[in-house]
Amino acid sequence: MNQKYILAVFALITMAINSQEVEFGKVSNEELAEQEYPHNKDAAAAITYKKQNTYYTTSNGNSSLITEVHERIKIYKKEGFDYATEYINLYKGRRDEERVSRINAFTYNLVDGKVVRNKLEKEQIFETEASYNYNRVTFTMPNVQVGSVIEFKYKITSPFIWNIDEFQFQYEIPVKKMIAEIRTPKGFRFNQTPKGYLSIFPETSKRNDNRIGMDVMVKTYTMDNVPAMKEESFVDNIDNYRSGVMFELVSIDLPGYYKSFAKSWSDVAKTIGNSDDYEDQLDKTKSFDDELDVLLANHPDPQSKMKAIFKYVKQNVTWNGMGGKYFYYGLKKALKEKKGNAADMNLLLVAMLRYAGIDSNPVVISTKDNTIPLFPTVERLNHVIAYAVIDDKPYFLDATEEFSDINVLPEKDYNWKGILINNHDMVWQQIDIVSPPKSNRMFALNLKLMEDGSCEGTYKSRLDKHSALRFRKKAKNLDMETYLTELENRFHGIEISDHKLENIEDYEGFVKESFAFYDEAGTEMIDGKLYVDPLAFLRMEENPFKLENRTYPVDFGFPFKNTYMVNIDFPEGYVVSTVPEPMIMTLPDDSGVFKYTIQKKPGGISVLVNYEINRAMVPVTTYPLLKEFYKQAIGKQAEKVILEKKTL
Amino acid sequence: MRLLIGMILVPLFLCSQSLDYSISSIPQGFGKGSNAVVRSNVMEVNIASIKSMSASYKRIVTIMNETGNEHVKGYVSYDDGIRVKDVSAKIYNSNGELIEKLKRNDFIDVSAVDGGSLYTDSRMLLLNYFPVEYPYTVEFDYTISSSNTGMLPYWYFQGDFLVDVLYSKYSVSYKSPELKPKIKEKNFDGFHIEREEIGNSIVYSTKNIKMLRDEALRPSRTNIMPHILVAPSNFYYEGFEGKIQDWKEVGQWMNTKILSGQEVLPESTVNKVKSLVAGIEDNLEKAKIIFKYVQENTRYISVQVGIGGIRPISAQEVDQVKYGDCKGLSNYTKSLLAAVGVESFYVHVEAGKDKVNLEEDFASLAQGNHVILALPYKGQYYWLDSTSQIIPFGYIADFTDDRDVLVIKPEGGELHRTRSYGDEQNIQQTTGWYRIDHQGNIEGEVNIKTQGTQYGDHYYLDTMEALEIDKYYKNYWSNVNNFHLLSYGFENDKENVRFEEDVKFKAEKYATTLEEKMMFVANTFNNHQYIPPRYRARNFPFEIQRGFLDKDEYRIKLPEGYEVESLPDETDLTSEFGRFHLSFSAIENGEIQVSRNILLKKGHYPKEDYQAFRSFMRSIAKHDKSKIIIHKKTQP
Repeated sequence: MNQKYILAVFALITMAINSQEVEFGKVSNEELAEQEYPHNKDAAAAITYKKQNTYYTTSNGNSSLITEVHERIKIYKKEGFDYATEYINLYKGRRDEERVSRINAFTYNLVDGKVVRNKLEKEQIFETEASYNYNRVTFTMPNVQVGSVIEFKYKITSPFIWNIDEFQFQYEIPVKKMIAEIRTPKGFRFNQTPKGYLSIFPETSKRNDNRIGMDVMVKTYTMDNVPAMKEESFVDNIDNYRSGVMFELVSIDLPGYYKSFAKSWSDVAKTIGNSDDYEDQLDKTKSFDDELDVLLANHPDPQSKMKAIFKYVKQNVTWNGMGGKYFYYGLKKALKEKKGNAADMNLLLVAMLRYAGIDSNPVVISTKDNTIPLFPTVERLNHVIAYAVIDDKPYFLDATEEFSDINVLPEKDYNWKGILINNHDMVWQQIDIVSPPKSNRMFALNLKLMEDGSCEGTYKSRLDKHSALRFRKKAKNLDMETYLTELENRFHGIEISDHKLENIEDYEGFVKESFAFYDEAGTEMIDGKLYVDPLAFLRMEENPFKLENRTYPVDFGFPFKNTYMVNIDFPEGYVVSTVPEPMIMTLPDDSGVFKYTIQKKPGGISVLVNYEINRAMVPVTTYPLLKEFYKQAIGKQAEKVILEKKTL
Repeated sequence: MRLLIGMILVPLFLCSQSLDYSISSIPQGFGKGSNAVVRSNVMEVNIASIKSMSASYKRIVTIMNETGNEHVKGYVSYDDGIRVKDVSAKIYNSNGELIEKLKRNDFIDVSAVDGGSLYTDSRMLLLNYFPVEYPYTVEFDYTISSSNTGMLPYWYFQGDFLVDVLYSKYSVSYKSPELKPKIKEKNFDGFHIEREEIGNSIVYSTKNIKMLRDEALRPSRTNIMPHILVAPSNFYYEGFEGKIQDWKEVGQWMNTKILSGQEVLPESTVNKVKSLVAGIEDNLEKAKIIFKYVQENTRYISVQVGIGGIRPISAQEVDQVKYGDCKGLSNYTKSLLAAVGVESFYVHVEAGKDKVNLEEDFASLAQGNHVILALPYKGQYYWLDSTSQIIPFGYIADFTDDRDVLVIKPEGGELHRTRSYGDEQNIQQTTGWYRIDHQGNIEGEVNIKTQGTQYGDHYYLDTMEALEIDKYYKNYWSNVNNFHLLSYGFENDKENVRFEEDVKFKAEKYATTLEEKMMFVANTFNNHQYIPPRYRARNFPFEIQRGFLDKDEYRIKLPEGYEVESLPDETDLTSEFGRFHLSFSAIENGEIQVSRNILLKKGHYPKEDYQAFRSFMRSIAKHDKSKIIIHKKTQP
């Protein structure tokens, strides 16, 4: 992480030594009269106070996890009105669900120098089901105006006592003061892992809680002046950088009772490995052995067996859109119904690979949309892929994405490491997942210039690996007419004919595209000279990195190499008068290269441009250089070749 | 967009054939390139009495690929007033074999709340089927019943792009002649749609409509897709009977049944607004003060419960909670205006960027999705949209402008046309100056003034955060690479509806250097390069919904020691679509003057003119890329 950045953050965040509590219902005239948020004049609203208490209660032998929230928001601008509406998401399981109670909320306004308050009425609170596993309680505050302070309190009662939601300390608006407290019974040990760029240290104390009749550990996180989160492009998952704390139960240690949950990644792997899905099911082959025997008969070596199985699973099971490390249907039913979640499909792969005699095991991961797990956890792993080793070479397979290939996983899989579950050899550990391979895009243009500035020519491109994957996903089911119209527009209004796309329905090999084109305004004629773009309509024109400063690393998804080969034939009687200089430029640590060469040949020129980014993720410290790299590359591509008529 | 929610129409059916659902049974010429083939789409409406109607719907559609899934349309909406009697579905594979049957319990019952509303009591039964292979065929049907007969299902024979329709039928039967609905046919030209009237029933049907492709600048779907509007003459709606022959009667019904009694305000608020306008005589001035009061004191929140789909929440309630939807806020503004002696009228409008009229000869409750106010003043109307806290008084571009709307007066409804923003009223004036240094870097300032519809594209800058403004300009001038915003200032003159921006900037390497020369695009500040896409065969007419006029004047100072080598020629283009002028001149002090004017005219054009329009726009784009070349002066 950028050292400078850490310093800057420390300057902004001061740990509150004396945490003064804010009393519900007591809003001062000063708060209401305040015109702008002192630390960020741009803020449309700010959370001026948020207190959250999480603790356990027991009644009639049932334990519940209680979270009490008290929040106060100041509205500075009309654009901040959105924050006057509160959404409370409540998880819903098969039998149990979370509930919210004691919603108490007021809006405060200053009217003629006096504080006037309006209460939120019961009938202004709505509950709807947000999805199959969430209910949502929604309310919007009455009488909200610029300058209003709104305040609400509520209590969430959860029967899911081991799932403590992440504490979030950072939002899209700034937070002036945040106090988050968690009380856990002594003997219940929770991992508490901070995340995000802001460092947070809790105060710890011990106390007796007579509601549950035992000692509790109290941890209090107090923060002042937390800046707002800002969105940026090319970010893997902004929640990775959002300040907060995550909790995970690691053990219960009570007199006469001890139970350990996940502690290390090996423990996590073992816990998952001991579940029925992984323990018993992966070596049951009855549901597919007959068919597989037929399939494998034609494939003598392990490599081709693996390929055949991968194809078979893709063709016979459709991904139902769900992740998961445990079965949704189970192997047998998934095969029968021809659909399944990630576990159904990829554990089926494992089972089949094993049947074929290939050393194969599941690897459990957390995908990009699920953030990076910062500590050993079972709960926060959301996906499983298949892993095989043939001749000491590792292969990773994920059949859920239609266009993925062996070792070309869906982009979301390249988030972090993986947890290997090898029950046979009793190896349960964290392993590295191969990083995405470098993807190649090759473009070849042959151009013939005319004296009137128009030109005609041919275009060929060839994409592999993730570039091909992205292209295939986009091109799938595309109406060709519509696609061509868009393509012509993207390439500055050229007219395309003889268009061909090859190999877009498969997941292996290159995507190839070719066409012939006519470009009415391909070059410019100025004062009898032709000004030619060496890369024609392929030149990059806009820098994707516009921000002056950046907070998060740049995620390209995968490393890539773009190659442009352009051959240009001049009109009869024209010669080069000016030609751009060649150029080579690199980014530090070999993370990027730009090469530009241009050569004269009889009656024309040939241009070769390479442009490579060698890392999927570029650290934020490299951002200024990356931005400059693009700037220089774009500037170079804008340079023209000038042709003039040969004087006789 | 702040739309009136709740006017959801409910569709239906009756027809049972033993059909071949295999792929091979799709006739020649269909299913190629389309995402779905609607084999049969049938709605049968039955009006049994003024307080009882039912509708049966059956749709059989073959989904060719993943994109086609949206055309299953396996859902039925309901609420307290609509009962779903049956709903079921059958799924067939590509060989036409039945692979799954779904009964009512297999459907998902969800709230119909969408992004625009905080809450609605409308619900939906949703088909829960996950396709594992394509193509597949869904047979979906339902029957609903309702005591409300005020809004009858309308019907699109073809409403989607890239979908073939093999058969489509709509029938309505009614117990007695006074229950006979009115029907309006729209865009039937070029389609073979049959109408049959037997006894107390009317049937429309059609066969074999080939898929259509979407095209840029096409008219709104309402104006090109074949459909019928259906509305009752005598009806019952949420406790009220009604009789509607014309727009006048719609207005009368709205007044007596829906709006009356909703305008009462608390005494204290009446006194407050009276004091705000104390001493002011002029109604327009009073209205501006009231409008400002509403903007400063309320916000848009939509909650749709029961008859709330059509009736506004009372002014009293808005006064208390300080929020409402378009109906509630418009009614509130109307009530406040009334309290200070200014008359205004409640207005139903079909809002959206696309201009859609209420049908002059076809009155119904179902048309319109938004509510605004009409304020009569000196022989003309001012139009007030109370759902925005920031728009100027009377400003309605480009959401409710230039279309026929229903103005509900005490004596009844009348159609009127809302304000149109003429081509030359939608002005953008860009004035700029910059200098180029020896490296090709530029630095300078720009002033942009906008009015009319163009005001609407700029004024919200005033409400944006600094970081967003920085992003905005980098995007607005994406043709200027390495752009840095140095400073900016805005002036939002709401009274005259003019927005003014002052921007200082610099950018590295704007001019490309080539040995002793430099080359750069002269039109730096208003170069958007839009060329309408080329269609191999254009199908629809096209529209320029709103015209505009841009006037640009720039001065460019050359680096010390450089002189002009080449200036592009002056350009004048005129066509039926507009005018374009671009000229360059070297003036004193080593400066170049660039003048540019572009006028694009509002209009509706046949498809045959599309090519000419495209050429016109293409020429403009080409000239906008014209480059100036300068070089180092040779030493004397």
